[in-house]
Amino acid sequence: MMRRVAIVGIGFTPFRPLSPEVSYRELVYESAQRAYHDAGINPREDVDSFITVAEDYEEGTAIFDEYTPDQLGAALRPVHTITADGLYAISAGYMLIQTGQCEVVVVEGHSKASNVLTPSYISALALDPIYNRPLRFHPACLAGMEMARFLVETGTVREQCLRVAVKNRRNALLNPLAPYGADLTLEEALASPPAFAPLSEVEMSRSADGAIVVVLASEEATRRLKGHPVWIRGVGWCSDSPTLETREWGEAVYAHLSARMAYRLAGIRNPAREVHLAEIDDTYAYKELMHMEALGLCRRGEAGRLVEEGATERDGLLPVNVSGGSLGMGHLGEATGLARLAEAVMHLRGDAERRQVKGAQTALVQSWRGVPSSSGAVVVLGV
Amino acid sequence: MLPLEKPQQVHRALAWQGEIPTYNIYTFGIAGERFFRELKEHGRFLGTRCPACHLLYVPPRIYCERCFASLEEWVEVPGRGTVFTFTLAYYDLDGRRLEHPDILALVRLEGAHGGVLHRLGEVEPGQVAIGMPVEAVLKPPQERRGSILDILYFRPTRR
Repeated sequence: MMRRVAIVGIGFTPFRPLSPEVSYRELVYESAQRAYHDAGINPREDVDSFITVAEDYEEGTAIFDEYTPDQLGAALRPVHTITADGLYAISAGYMLIQTGQCEVVVVEGHSKASNVLTPSYISALALDPIYNRPLRFHPACLAGMEMARFLVETGTVREQCLRVAVKNRRNALLNPLAPYGADLTLEEALASPPAFAPLSEVEMSRSADGAIVVVLASEEATRRLKGHPVWIRGVGWCSDSPTLETREWGEAVYAHLSARMAYRLAGIRNPAREVHLAEIDDTYAYKELMHMEALGLCRRGEAGRLVEEGATERDGLLPVNVSGGSLGMGHLGEATGLARLAEAVMHLRGDAERRQVKGAQTALVQSWRGVPSSSGAVVVLGV
Repeated sequence: MLPLEKPQQVHRALAWQGEIPTYNIYTFGIAGERFFRELKEHGRFLGTRCPACHLLYVPPRIYCERCFASLEEWVEVPGRGTVFTFTLAYYDLDGRRLEHPDILALVRLEGAHGGVLHRLGEVEPGQVAIGMPVEAVLKPPQERRGSILDILYFRPTRR
């Protein structure tokens, strides 16, 4: 029989474009303190294993996993680091608890993006060094190219993508953690200059600094903890080919297969009806639409119309990125999925204040690892 | 306990600025070596075929990513195809805004399921469309060194 696994604590800093007064370690320390307080645990005694996510190049430090324990209270304890989005760490923690080897697992992700002075060079280093990198193009070109293909294959139009940017920037106005809230209108969005056409400036998320720490516990452990458990009902992850020349461009196959894995575990048959809110990747505005379709929240080619009709607004039939998403909260590198997850946990606890989606009992969380990747993860949460 | 005090003045927020100078070579391997030698010496494009999956890999590789079979059948592919997708890039790699956008495209070579990611040239940004026929413009043979930069760009096919 599968053991049930719950999220019993979350802690985060507000997300900010700059954080010159604190180091990444101090950001993590602050979030960890909040998460341990939330769960009512002592990290030196109550945690069986710690999992962090980070990329060496984004941190500017090789073998960065060596730098992860201290600020989490994880020195001289079992720790491992995954070079992937935070939802992969949630999946790994879920499995560690299911093995019966662990009762309490802590997951951490952070972003100190403002310290990266040459971000386009870092993502360019993720391009194939022989076939692609010698061309010396800005890696966000791939987002423009993917968007163009998505539009032509699905019949989605640019204005529908801009509506995602409008919705998410406006959603962020109600989120005190989100630095990029804006009372943006569709007319203003339409006037946004092209960046990687058809992608325009306003459709690209900006980076932010911050840290998120999540405490996972077995069902048995939740009984002795004070927290309000939110159950992990399913996890999934998947990678498409890294080869730009041969992989899919018009649809997010990685997200489709990740969701299929997570839905199977969660027993979800009709996600459009069973999911009450979705916090999904919107690194670029079109990505939210592409991911909605891949996640089975609507049929292919329908996501743009749903946004137009207001179905994905906070008070719509299927609220998507009530938090403001990455467009509103800022992109947090590999911690992005954990920021989406934290928002979903707040709604399921009934703690999301003015953003609260009423009666939310099932939430879908999804991440994508940014250009040039074609991989990501899905987590289904429930109360 | 979390600190009760934090820096109050921005000029007290200090940082050390470092750099990451790294240099690598990236081995072409068996498939890449053959592809770039053929491009350099004969100006031709090669792919490998997976007979089971009916896929023609360009860039070539020695295994099929779908069925994992070894690929041994090498096929010449014409240096022309169609624009599968493209972008008008208003920023260069340094993040500098460009007045005239760079046109980057994925070109599906004829008969291949892959293709070449490269720039388009001899065309105005407003004229580019998905599905447009294009052909490779190569450097003169004596200037080719066996790299993706042996292709100067793709341009609309001349009939």
